[in-house]
Amino acid sequence: MWDLRTPSGCFFGLLGLILCAVGVFAPDLRAPLTEANVNLYTGIVMLLFGVVLLWLARRAA
Amino acid sequence: MTLASVDYLILAVYFAFVVSIGWLLRKRVSTSEDFLISGRSVPVWITSLAFVAANLGAQELIGMSACGAKYGIMTAHFYWVGAIPAMIFVGVFMMPFYYGSRARSVPEYLKLRFDEKTRGLNAITFATMTVFSSGISMYALGLLFQLVLGWSFTASVLLSAVIVLVYTFLGGLTSAIYNEVLQFCLIVLGFSPLAILAVAKAGGWHGMATRLPAVMTHSWKYMSKASENPMGVEVFGMVAGLGFVLSFGYWCTDFLVIQRAMAADSMSGARRTPLIAAFPKMVIPFIVIVPGIAAVALHNMHIGYSLPAKGNGYDYDQVLTTLMAKFYPSGMLGVGLTALMASFMSGMAGNVTAFNTVWTYDIYQSYIRRGAPDSHYLWVGRLTTVFGVALSIGTAYLANLYNNLMDLLQLVFGFVNAPLFATFLLGMFWRRATGHGAFSGLLAGTGAAALTHGLTMAEGKGGWLAHIHTFPSTMAQNFWVAIFAWSVCFLVTVIVSLLTKPRPQQELRNLVYGLTDKPQEESKSWHHRPGVLAVVVGVVCVLLNIWFW
Repeated sequence: MWDLRTPSGCFFGLLGLILCAVGVFAPDLRAPLTEANVNLYTGIVMLLFGVVLLWLARRAA
Repeated sequence: MTLASVDYLILAVYFAFVVSIGWLLRKRVSTSEDFLISGRSVPVWITSLAFVAANLGAQELIGMSACGAKYGIMTAHFYWVGAIPAMIFVGVFMMPFYYGSRARSVPEYLKLRFDEKTRGLNAITFATMTVFSSGISMYALGLLFQLVLGWSFTASVLLSAVIVLVYTFLGGLTSAIYNEVLQFCLIVLGFSPLAILAVAKAGGWHGMATRLPAVMTHSWKYMSKASENPMGVEVFGMVAGLGFVLSFGYWCTDFLVIQRAMAADSMSGARRTPLIAAFPKMVIPFIVIVPGIAAVALHNMHIGYSLPAKGNGYDYDQVLTTLMAKFYPSGMLGVGLTALMASFMSGMAGNVTAFNTVWTYDIYQSYIRRGAPDSHYLWVGRLTTVFGVALSIGTAYLANLYNNLMDLLQLVFGFVNAPLFATFLLGMFWRRATGHGAFSGLLAGTGAAALTHGLTMAEGKGGWLAHIHTFPSTMAQNFWVAIFAWSVCFLVTVIVSLLTKPRPQQELRNLVYGLTDKPQEESKSWHHRPGVLAVVVGVVCVLLNIWFW
């Protein structure tokens, strides 16, 4: 039986990659009220979350 | 607010994943029980997150951030006084009867414990309510997207409904539950950056406290008199009305959430579901209510954010989306809106799956066609998914056309729901309670709710019979309506039960406390024991209340 952590890990990994790419290649994309590169930081967190889920799924299999 | 192509890409990726989860799960459905109750096979961490997510619809997110902006941290009472104690109670004390009775739904438990008419009353009102509430939240979502993004009402309503339909149709309850976990993670990851950014910009909690009236940053300090706080509720009304009657009524009897726990793979799993769910539930105020409070602080700082205006006041329902527009650049904005969409879908799928089960088992199989082969009921279940979604869409349009009708319906649903917990409490813990007692108690409780509302006024609402009392706010009125409904239902059930013939005790095995074997603590490690988990949840919840006193 497949593990929900695999598709979720893929989903958040992919989302993280998209956000990181935007953060790196379009670093000037900023929201009006913050100086932070929001895309890059949340992208990294999502990527990590996705990787942890995939790792957990692999370990359980 | 305008979206860039990357935002649409993120939305598309999300749609692709939820549908493919349904597609992957389609092979696991071969009987009606697989489709409607997940064959009682879902791991506990999944049921727990689904338990929170099914309740975390878009209306909850939008409504709670709006209340945060309106009332401040007092809104957290809905969680730390309302939800958590009720979740502890249902996990520790009630789940043994729901799960142990082998009932497939909450109305079916009522049939086993009481009688056919009590089940019928509950099943029919519940089925009607779920369809209407999913339609009403669909309407709210369509309206918001129309307002914020300029999307057509029809397009966003149909798109979101069809996606929910596809994945629920394919994989049934399992698919809905699995997707709710994904949606829950997305909601948390999509909204917490907003909370962090908004609070940081407003100078942290202390910075916010200096820019706001003190009543907005204390949850209990101004509760002794209704006139001192913006909610217009005093301690007793809050604790008894919200904390006891309404919250226990929802978390302990509403099949929408109970269904998730009943899908767990073991009794211990079913009992731990609400308890484990309580941990994320306690934290949700930080990502929905706190940003609402921060929005008011930012507004007072005059640095480029102002609360969305509507007429002479503010349109608090737009607090969340206007904050997103100010703090999320393209990319993250897509994630934020996708998270909003995800919350809507998790709420709607919750309604649809609960409706399916109650319709198929408690109405169709009981009153329309008994004794058909299981494949017939599987087919009916699938068809009901389509039918339920179509009805919800119809309701969304109805809500769009007749706003007042929906307000009236929600009011009536409130009357029906208010006394429910008294019936379950007596049913589970008093073996003398009878079917006639439960049925007449429910009717009397609903009547008492309507009567209380008809005799009292608040903010111009109610008082359609006479005007004998005025409440400081509609919220206080709601709480007191619930208190009266519950008390009348309790008394009438007891009196009528004592006057009618009790059921023989052997028929009540596994249905009533004292006639049911105590659930065995299956595992030694502490996080597997419901009792220990309950204590930990309780302590953390008390600490949160003290922290924001």
